[in-house]
Amino acid sequence: MLEFLEELLGEFTGSDYGELRYHERKGLNIAVRQGELEAANSTVYSGVGVRAFCQGGWGFSSTSRLDRESLKAAIRDAVSGARAASKKADTRLGQARLARGTFSPEIGDPLSAHPFEEKLAVVRRTEAKAGSFHFISSTACAYRENLDHKYILTTDGARAEVMDSKPEFRVLAVATADGRSVEASESLGVTGGWDDLFKRQPDELAEIAAKRAGDLLKASHPGGERALVILDPALVGLLAHEAIGHTVEADFVLSGAITEGKLGQRVASELVTLVDSGPSQYGKHAGGTVLVDDEGVIAERTVVIEQGILKSYLHSRETAGMFGVNATGNARAFEYSDEPLIRMRNTYIEPGDKTLEEMVSEVQHGYLLKGARGGQADANAEFMFSVQEAYRIKDGKIGELLRGVAVSGQAFEVLQSVDAVGKEFRFDIGAGYCGKGQPAKVDGGGPYLRCKAIIGGRTR
Amino acid sequence: MTILKYGEFAVQKARQLGADEAEAFLTQGQEISVKAEANELKLATTHVRDGVGIRVFSDRALGFASVNAFDEQKIEEAVRAAVSLSKASLKDEHNLLPEPQHIKDVGGLYDQQAERFQVDAAISMAGELLSTARGYDPRVMVDSASFNATIETRAIVNSRGIKAEERANLFSYFIMGMARDGEEVSSFNYRFDATRKAGEIAVKEKAREFAEGVVASLGASKGESFVGTVILSPNAVLELVIEPLTFAIDANRVQKGMSGWAGMLDKQVASPLLAIEDDGRLEGGTGSASFDREGLPHTHLKLVEDGILRAYLHNSYTAAKEGRRSSGHASGGARSVPAIGPTNLLVRPGHKSKEELIDGVKRGILVTRFSGFPEPVSGEFSGVVKGGFLIENGRLTRPLIETLVSGNLFEMLPRVSGLSRETERLGAVVAPYMMVEDMAITGG
Repeated sequence: MLEFLEELLGEFTGSDYGELRYHERKGLNIAVRQGELEAANSTVYSGVGVRAFCQGGWGFSSTSRLDRESLKAAIRDAVSGARAASKKADTRLGQARLARGTFSPEIGDPLSAHPFEEKLAVVRRTEAKAGSFHFISSTACAYRENLDHKYILTTDGARAEVMDSKPEFRVLAVATADGRSVEASESLGVTGGWDDLFKRQPDELAEIAAKRAGDLLKASHPGGERALVILDPALVGLLAHEAIGHTVEADFVLSGAITEGKLGQRVASELVTLVDSGPSQYGKHAGGTVLVDDEGVIAERTVVIEQGILKSYLHSRETAGMFGVNATGNARAFEYSDEPLIRMRNTYIEPGDKTLEEMVSEVQHGYLLKGARGGQADANAEFMFSVQEAYRIKDGKIGELLRGVAVSGQAFEVLQSVDAVGKEFRFDIGAGYCGKGQPAKVDGGGPYLRCKAIIGGRTR
Repeated sequence: MTILKYGEFAVQKARQLGADEAEAFLTQGQEISVKAEANELKLATTHVRDGVGIRVFSDRALGFASVNAFDEQKIEEAVRAAVSLSKASLKDEHNLLPEPQHIKDVGGLYDQQAERFQVDAAISMAGELLSTARGYDPRVMVDSASFNATIETRAIVNSRGIKAEERANLFSYFIMGMARDGEEVSSFNYRFDATRKAGEIAVKEKAREFAEGVVASLGASKGESFVGTVILSPNAVLELVIEPLTFAIDANRVQKGMSGWAGMLDKQVASPLLAIEDDGRLEGGTGSASFDREGLPHTHLKLVEDGILRAYLHNSYTAAKEGRRSSGHASGGARSVPAIGPTNLLVRPGHKSKEELIDGVKRGILVTRFSGFPEPVSGEFSGVVKGGFLIENGRLTRPLIETLVSGNLFEMLPRVSGLSRETERLGAVVAPYMMVEDMAITGG
């Protein structure tokens, strides 16, 4: 396949740059709900994504037909698309460390060594465990895996064979009483194999989700206010990704994001160092791990904010050229038929030196927020996260559990307000996907972080 | 050329390999798309997409596999995978494929002009999106905009004799961005639209609405905390009401105790002002088709009438459990087993104009967009108001940021106190402005 694609690189005449990306994805999806099997899906999705660049314009085409004539036609389409979108400008792509050779993440125990029957059994057992609590009315459990095999070639020298293995697992429990329901979930998502995924036992996840749903059922709503909050590693990951990370994606900076023109300026408390890294840091198997991006660039560890100072945006080769810097390896495509876009990988805040106990003990009135249900952020860095668990903190002690809590604020103001950073580190959003017209597997994390934010609640 | 023959091949192969029942769902699509980014045209794309999804039951146990190639060898591999999964999976007495029903053409799903629509035409449409928005006010920043033209053929074959094929096209477009005035950056806003008819493409109108929205939200200041009236725009109705309700009316969720509307059939679930219909046979509708994901005809269902819940959405599986007929709401594509989903969802308009609704508000907010994640099971929500305005004594007084609204969807629907007569088409959803009383609003 590599030789075959290499020959085809010669077809990109009339463009400044050409890229061929063969991507085969083998997927498995198992879903059980209330004891019933809702999905036992096996998918094979393969094809070639072709991209051409011509004087500032891009053309992209894709085909699942892998014969020479179909691929030549796809290259012609991409080149003519690039010419049609061209700005007749002398635009150069940025410098990059182009990948050559074979790249694979560390995989302890390959997913392929575990048959469908075993995976189905784990999903069934976990779903049944979650449903074994008397207050639980409904449960679901799902396992999903994506195994990737890619060849990425560019006319300026990338020649990479890239493997990947990303499994996910989630369990959901709904507790009901007096006609009111509340749900809670636990999930895992890693880059790696079977044992890497199940560092925590499925039974334990089921029990945690079920008990949390039961506890939330009895919980009351908070009143809304701006307050001191302690975010757990999952919410710190979400803050780093959703509220800060998107505003430093260089395509977004060019559109006028709030970070435009702020390189070298203080944007956060000096306690904050924020990183987006292709390789997994602090352990091996972060869910957003990328070794080579989909432009064939070696994915690096990119320090975005260093001790509060904005240091770097996240780049593709095109934006690196515009900003006169090196590409950071953030150009990612979900499947062969998606064009590479600037996406994050593993985004996190580096740990500090406090224990959670110390951080809580210093709070007179505030909240401890744990677990993300979802998040959104805006061009002005205003964010909104739905929280799984919120505990009131009073006089340095963790108090009652609250339900239906959202946390919001302007991300950079929130980061300026950080006054304590914990020392425990965890990646914790690896089961999720980031959406930007196409999904991407990402992860995020950090230590516990204390800052000021708005708690959305019921004032009635 | 018909793609049905690949479906027939797959079904026959599955039966030979020992499956009791087999279904093949096929899609073949071509897509032209032009994207703009950072205020400039950026990318022109063309795609050819093929897909085959094979669902089999062996002794009433499910197996499913899909592959993106019309290639007999690859299809056979997928069939083998599906059959092998079904032999290792769980028996369920309701796993039965549907019998054929008469399928009548919906009409208006295919515009011949789509065939003549090439990259150049898409480039000029995307260019108009950009130039209209940018020309409205120099402070308008377009983060991304796109124009897509697709032609897709869907086909289905099953071992009980269902065999159907249909071609449809769609033009869809999208614009998103913000306004920037010096250091101040407004909230994001976006507009999207889709139509099957080339003559109904309205890129200028949508770009202007987008631009008006972002410019109006400049100069926003922090909100206050109070309990008051909220007027939701059609877009906010989609985000806060319609999306969680599509979960609540899914018969599978209802049967499995995950719907807030389980057990509520023929009961009052909302204000008597509220009426919601699902019509999969709407001529030319962007959610319309002559048959659903299982090859059954779509229907026209009254979901909520005078605030009373009248129906849930069913596919064959959920219908078999209740010994009834599917409502024709099997949804999805070739890459997964049929799910359940709405087609065209229509929230019926009211009698007052949007201005008359605002006139009647003493203290409240107008919500253009809602950014939050309503918990679909409990209906709990707490989210940020985007492009919001404070309403005082019947007047919009100022734009808001850092303002949250919180509540419970199922408790909120009975407090709907008004619907506008203006409606907006948002893809396959049509909705009016919706006024709700006694909402908890938190300001920063």
